[in-house]
Amino acid sequence: MPGLGHSRFTSLHDVELCAHAATGERRAFGELVRRHGSAVRGVLRRMGAQGAEADDVAQDAFLTAFERIAEFRGEGTFAGWVKRIAARLYLRRLQKDRRLGSLSTEAAEAESSTNGGDADAAIDLDEALKTLGATERVCVTMCFGAGLSHSEAAEALNLPLGTVKSHVKRGLDKLRTRLAPDGGAAVEGRRGNG
Amino acid sequence: MAEDFERRLERLFAEHPELADAGAFAERVERRLNAGWTARRWLIGAAGVVGGVIGASQLMVSNLFQRVETAGDSAKLISSSLNHLSASTDWMSAVSAGGVGVWAAAALAVVMMGFVLTRVIGEI
Repeated sequence: MPGLGHSRFTSLHDVELCAHAATGERRAFGELVRRHGSAVRGVLRRMGAQGAEADDVAQDAFLTAFERIAEFRGEGTFAGWVKRIAARLYLRRLQKDRRLGSLSTEAAEAESSTNGGDADAAIDLDEALKTLGATERVCVTMCFGAGLSHSEAAEALNLPLGTVKSHVKRGLDKLRTRLAPDGGAAVEGRRGNG
Repeated sequence: MAEDFERRLERLFAEHPELADAGAFAERVERRLNAGWTARRWLIGAAGVVGGVIGASQLMVSNLFQRVETAGDSAKLISSSLNHLSASTDWMSAVSAGGVGVWAAAALAVVMMGFVLTRVIGEI
């Protein structure tokens, strides 16, 4: 019987699955997890969460989403909604563990250690994100990966809006350089000339 | 230019590799959902049993059945009075004769309570 249920749900749209989940149909919600689990875990990893921690937070995010599924009105995508929940949960965990306060220190360390990155390394988004400071990484991923506005990110991070905007701008500048066709080489070239 | 890059970045963020253990992850989440649901069902069941026991004991203490019999007698009395008043109210006396009306009202109350309980459990 469970197999039959799963095959019935695989053909449904996310919005329909959400409607089923809102009636308490857990198999419909399981199908949503199957579809979007990787995306949510991916955002958390891009925010800097390690594998197991990212999975824990992603699980909590999905359970929270199930509890609050009636609040999902279909404005935006289901994946985007869960990503925002996951990002906030991860930040809460950082704040609880007092790891958020140390992000600015990590940022400075990361900046000094990554400017000399290997120019020959394959540059993709995940690699490029590693060149950002921790706070920049969190801010950029929250705004571009989880779809939070600057204000929402500032509120979640408990930082002034201007500070978040500065982190995002600095992060974008670094990413733009790293993701340019000659990204790493350009950085190396400037270092060589300087 | 900047907006182009931001759109490109959003597209890059939207592209994510399907993780190898995606199925296992979904199963773990479903297991946790089911575990939570089972615990909730046990809790509701236990609350129902406790409520039932308390309700039954209250019924015993308050001599409800005796009161229902008295109400039945009263209904019979009212019924016979009504019969004297008007022949057109035969249907009412038929219903209330022998306390049927009281029992029907009690049954209706039980159905209503069941409905309310269902809604409350649904809300929980």
